[in-house]
Amino acid sequence: MLLPLIILLPLIGSLVPVLARRARRTPIALLTALLPGAALAITIWLGIQVLKGDILHFALPWVPQMGLALAFRFDGLSLLFTLLILGIGLLVIVYARYYLDPKDSMPKFYGFLMLFMTSMLGIVTSDNLMLLWFFWELTSVSSFLLISFWSWSSNARKGARMAFAVTGAGGLCLLASLMLMGHIVGSFSLDTVLHSGETLRQSPLYPLVLILLLLGAFTKSAQFPFQFWLPHAMSAPTPVSAYLHSATMVKAGIFLLIRLYPVMGDTNGWYYIITLTGLITMFYGAYMAMVQYDLKGLLAYSTISHLGLITMLLGLDTRLSTLAAVFHVVNHAIFKASLFMAVGIVDHECGTRDSRRLGGLRRYMPYTAALATVAGASMAGVPLLNGFISKEMFLTETLQIQSLGGLSWLIPALATLGSALSVAYSLRLVVDVFYRGEPRFLPKQPHEAPRPMRLPIEILIILCLAVGMFPSFTVGALLNSAMSVVATDAMSGQSLAVWHGINLPLMMSAAAMLLGLIIYLMRNILHSSFRRDFLKTDAKLVFERAVQKSIAFGERVLDRIDSRSLQQYMLVMMTLMLIMAVQGLVKMPGLMGPVALQPIDPFVLAGAIAMCIGAIATVNFQRYRLIALICLSITELMVALAFLKFSSPDLALTQLVVAPVTLILMLLTLFFLPQQTPRVSSGIRILRDLVLAAAVGTVIASINFAVLTDHYDSIGKFFTDNAVSGAGGHNVVNVILVDFRGFDTLGEITVLGITALGVLKLLNRMKLFVPTTSAENRPWAPEYFPTIFGSVAQIVLPLALMVAFYFFIRGHNLPGGGFIGGLVAASALIMMYTARGVEWTMRRLRIDFQRLIATGLLIAWLTSAAPLLFGHNFLTTWFDHFDIPLIGSLEIASALVFDLGVFLTVVGATMMILANLGRLATPYSPAREHRQIDGAMSAKKEMR
Amino acid sequence: MNLTLTHLFALLPLIIVGITVVVVMLSVACRRNHFLNATLSGCGLILALLSVFWVQCSDHGSQLPTLVSPMVAVDSYSLFYIGLILVAALACIVFAYAYFDRLKVHREEFYLLLLCSTLGAMVLVSAVHMASLFIGLELMSVPLYGMAAYIFKRQQSLEAGIKYLVLSAVASSFLLFGMALLFAAYGELGFAELGLKLVSVDYLDTWTIIGVGMMVIGLAFKLSVAPFHMWTSDVYEGAPAPVSAFLATVSKVAVFAVLVRFFILAPTFSVKLHTVIAVLAVLSMLTGNLLALRSHNIKRLLGYSSIAHLGYLLTAVVVLRSGVSDGAGELSESGQLVLEATGVYLVGYVLTSLGTFGVVALATHADSANRDTSELRGLAQRRPVLAVCMAFMLLSLAGIPLTAGFIGKFYVLALTVNGELWWLAASVIVGSAIGLYYYLRTIVELFLPTDDATVTAANGRGQALGALVVVIAAALTLWIGIFPEPIITMVNSALPVGL
Repeated sequence: MLLPLIILLPLIGSLVPVLARRARRTPIALLTALLPGAALAITIWLGIQVLKGDILHFALPWVPQMGLALAFRFDGLSLLFTLLILGIGLLVIVYARYYLDPKDSMPKFYGFLMLFMTSMLGIVTSDNLMLLWFFWELTSVSSFLLISFWSWSSNARKGARMAFAVTGAGGLCLLASLMLMGHIVGSFSLDTVLHSGETLRQSPLYPLVLILLLLGAFTKSAQFPFQFWLPHAMSAPTPVSAYLHSATMVKAGIFLLIRLYPVMGDTNGWYYIITLTGLITMFYGAYMAMVQYDLKGLLAYSTISHLGLITMLLGLDTRLSTLAAVFHVVNHAIFKASLFMAVGIVDHECGTRDSRRLGGLRRYMPYTAALATVAGASMAGVPLLNGFISKEMFLTETLQIQSLGGLSWLIPALATLGSALSVAYSLRLVVDVFYRGEPRFLPKQPHEAPRPMRLPIEILIILCLAVGMFPSFTVGALLNSAMSVVATDAMSGQSLAVWHGINLPLMMSAAAMLLGLIIYLMRNILHSSFRRDFLKTDAKLVFERAVQKSIAFGERVLDRIDSRSLQQYMLVMMTLMLIMAVQGLVKMPGLMGPVALQPIDPFVLAGAIAMCIGAIATVNFQRYRLIALICLSITELMVALAFLKFSSPDLALTQLVVAPVTLILMLLTLFFLPQQTPRVSSGIRILRDLVLAAAVGTVIASINFAVLTDHYDSIGKFFTDNAVSGAGGHNVVNVILVDFRGFDTLGEITVLGITALGVLKLLNRMKLFVPTTSAENRPWAPEYFPTIFGSVAQIVLPLALMVAFYFFIRGHNLPGGGFIGGLVAASALIMMYTARGVEWTMRRLRIDFQRLIATGLLIAWLTSAAPLLFGHNFLTTWFDHFDIPLIGSLEIASALVFDLGVFLTVVGATMMILANLGRLATPYSPAREHRQIDGAMSAKKEMR
Repeated sequence: MNLTLTHLFALLPLIIVGITVVVVMLSVACRRNHFLNATLSGCGLILALLSVFWVQCSDHGSQLPTLVSPMVAVDSYSLFYIGLILVAALACIVFAYAYFDRLKVHREEFYLLLLCSTLGAMVLVSAVHMASLFIGLELMSVPLYGMAAYIFKRQQSLEAGIKYLVLSAVASSFLLFGMALLFAAYGELGFAELGLKLVSVDYLDTWTIIGVGMMVIGLAFKLSVAPFHMWTSDVYEGAPAPVSAFLATVSKVAVFAVLVRFFILAPTFSVKLHTVIAVLAVLSMLTGNLLALRSHNIKRLLGYSSIAHLGYLLTAVVVLRSGVSDGAGELSESGQLVLEATGVYLVGYVLTSLGTFGVVALATHADSANRDTSELRGLAQRRPVLAVCMAFMLLSLAGIPLTAGFIGKFYVLALTVNGELWWLAASVIVGSAIGLYYYLRTIVELFLPTDDATVTAANGRGQALGALVVVIAAALTLWIGIFPEPIITMVNSALPVGL
């Protein structure tokens, strides 16, 4: 039960500094250190059991559906890493107390740090792949917060963003890899996975899993070619660098590789990729470290180099290489943390970390100089220090490589060269800063750091010495227990002794020392040439350029498809639709279906040609609106005739009446619209649109043709069969309207009424200036109401109304009905308005159209509801035949009353829309506007 | 077909929203009071939300699923999504109140439009018939044209409305054409009836594929899936921020839910068609993310990111290739995963979208036309709470652990891995990696210092309420990220009728 506390305590610890934010700086640091200290105690307590060979487990279900469980395991490997994370973490807390400026927010810093510590601890103790990934991403987030701690600095922000983008992207690859692993193994539990090595390696997906896994690990551990984010993360405060880049963040990738080595390792893919990557990274890092002026940059590249070394060790297929890798993880963490802290002190006390300005600091800060010297020597691999032992192991292992055949000697040679470079840059760091020369132009007068600030370094140096001199006594048991979960046979026959006698590795070590010294002495030559040839490429610039490039690419794509132009959008959509439809059409055996075509008679042909001409002419004359409108009406007429020809007189009649009403509406609208037509598109554009329109038309027409010649059942038969028997009407269209689909009609006329009211409301306060000339700049006729037209209209009106009534009354059996009748009546009234003007007509025709609509609707609704009184359903119809003298047999259906409602509503709505729009057309000029409004008001009063 | 009380009871949420429309309309007619009408609308939605629980939990609930007519089915699936839609609409009303409160226009009609559109979305998720699908879609879209162009004095807003209108009409015509083709081929319009016919034929003829393809295009437009996404960023940018929030949440949820339902009830099993959908998904993920990379306007950026997110989500439809039943009428494992993924992803997506657009609506000025990320620069100084929520929401959009977005992304990846759709998996990863970059950029922008002292924190009850909603959304995102179990259980119990 103590196990989860190791993670939980630091997590709670991230709140402590926030709660204690009012305290002074030292108490905050102490309080913060309290909980991880306790966690460290628990770790040691549990570690004793682990060293005995136990593996501790703890599990709580979390989201079983996702295979996610709060499962922790504590084995030798976890113990080793937990000790590093907590131990160095505590030292960093102490160090940061003195490093941070009073202006910096301590609670924020410590909170982020503890959060980071928690996520790192989570990674090393997870027993569930998903949980591991969870913490993996949390390290990315919290390291982002830590690196961007000095958020006022643009470099810090950019560096943090880059670190997060790279490691986060790698994290996504890792997620995919882990999910694949879970998919293959069938469980996310690490226990199961660790026992399924064979299954995984046999799986055809293994290469994919491996590559994704390595992408995740390499981005986190800054391996080539993803190493570039690490130097830029150096804009973080030094305690952060000391923590993240020695013991934790970058080691997470290494940890993952070690953790999954038993299942994923032992294949050629693993060996080659990892060895090669490690080798390249080691050299690249060492190379770059030689030529850095910034001390932290030097350390960053040396970290990259050492990580490469560890990675390479993991990739070697020799027996002890993994042990060497784990051992070097520990050693590197210890000496690199102390070096970072020492550089931090230099930076803190001198105000700069530019190696060109620093020199001879030994005289100002002797203690720090001594500590840094030991740490640097450890990094260089000087005997009796911890770095030496793991380096010796590394060299020994390289000698055993067989996999490259005749070229196997190359690896030890390169390893020696790498070590030499390591010696060289260690010398640069220590000698150039602390021993040679004099400081120049320092912003501050350098002096020794306060004692507590040196304390963490001292502890680490003592560890360096202890491990270096008594390796098997200090870390032997730990390594033993760690290796027991990684490679069980690794420890047998291996003694962690300092002295193995004079052998080849020792000679190589000595050679590396000598070579390193030579390189160090030649550094000026190296400097100039490296600077000239290599350093021009700044990783940040490369990264930013890559981003810029993809942005530029995005922009190019954007300009193509995202031009903010509606026409362009339509083009894309239509084209895609065409591609799809054409694909389907091409696959069809033939367009013609089983239904035979009707013969073509000359009338139909003539009508079709006229219709086409009308449509083309409309487009052609689109700039001359009146002409275009006339052309359009040709098409309309032909449509009506087509209805008539193909035996639906009712539709034809409707079309005939609707056409003039809409025409008048269009005329009115066009009259008010700006007279200038917008600029015509360029020729190419017109051509493009023409081609597109033609293509769409052809394709849609083909599809329609194919569908229409195919068999399908139509519902029409039902209506023709039942019209007389069910509703007592011979006009099927009207029967559908008022009976079968009466409910729809009821809804429709209601909507029509509402629309009319809406139009009335919208036009209520509208002010429109009447144009005096047409689009062609010809003045409109001064006489608005020709007398002859007026007189004729007055005579025609009663006749037209009678026709309307006739249509209405016979509608149930013959072409006609309330809808058509209503439209006819409306057009007759409109004619009156056109002939005599709105004001004249309104004075005489005192119909309130609002009331008309209301009456119509009321009648329709009441008729519909009436059957309810007789216990029938809503809208049940009733009809019977009566013999009336003189007139003959007359059928009276309740539907007729309903149709009356339709009639009245249609008349009212049409008139309301047109009359109101027409009233705006009453000529007036802006100067007479007031009078006009008054006139409208009085007209309105009259209407009431 | 008679409507009985059971049917009406099942329709209660829809009826309540319908009545709310009328009530608000009458109230606007009586008195123009912004607060009053916003409150009325909100109360209506809350009542509807309560009725969802009532219908789900009451004795009558045991009669679920209720086929109210051959067109509309009220089952736990539709109730779940109706609930989600209502929550989103409610949040949009709050944002709209805060947003329009500063404007001197007729503000009250906005709520009518919003309510009508919500009603359409509710019909849509209950649709089991082409007709109700179309009615729902149009009822949802038509008010949206007006909403997008609501601040018609600002040219951008007007342009957004017109663009949406025209392109949407084209998409609707595709949809109708596809339906007509399917009807011509099978003589059925109900999803389930169509599904029966589709299952019984051995070989899908070209008409079916073109028909379903056209329908997918029409719906893909509404979902702003590439390459039918072009309108998205323009409209998101131009429309008032609450409308963008509505577009990003309610309309997306409704259309996606009906798309999934259609493919569940009428599975086509056509590899070709699903390949097309997979290509659309990949295109969306890449296009959305790449375009977002260069976008410096926060609303455009969110628009592009929503394109990418719909791309991720479309994976679910690709997986539906294999159907959801295992042949014995039971839900198959992959079918279960699809439904789970859809539900969980949509919940997370709705919450984060509401949060981000909410912050944009609260923190920006309605009358300022130029809204680039720099307007949110230094938000942390002015409105620290909003800034923290925004940052968290952006992390969720990026799919970082401990957020709802991560859970969704996990499900999508699980879908691709289970369905062995490697290309999709690869594009999800590449897309998310690109996404990280621009989300981070925006987050960093929030916390940058700004010397623009003129912008002062706005106050008023609208702002306070809006901030509360944003905080709640953020809290829920966090809660789902840490403890997604209840949501997963809820989604699991929300099965569409016919399973």
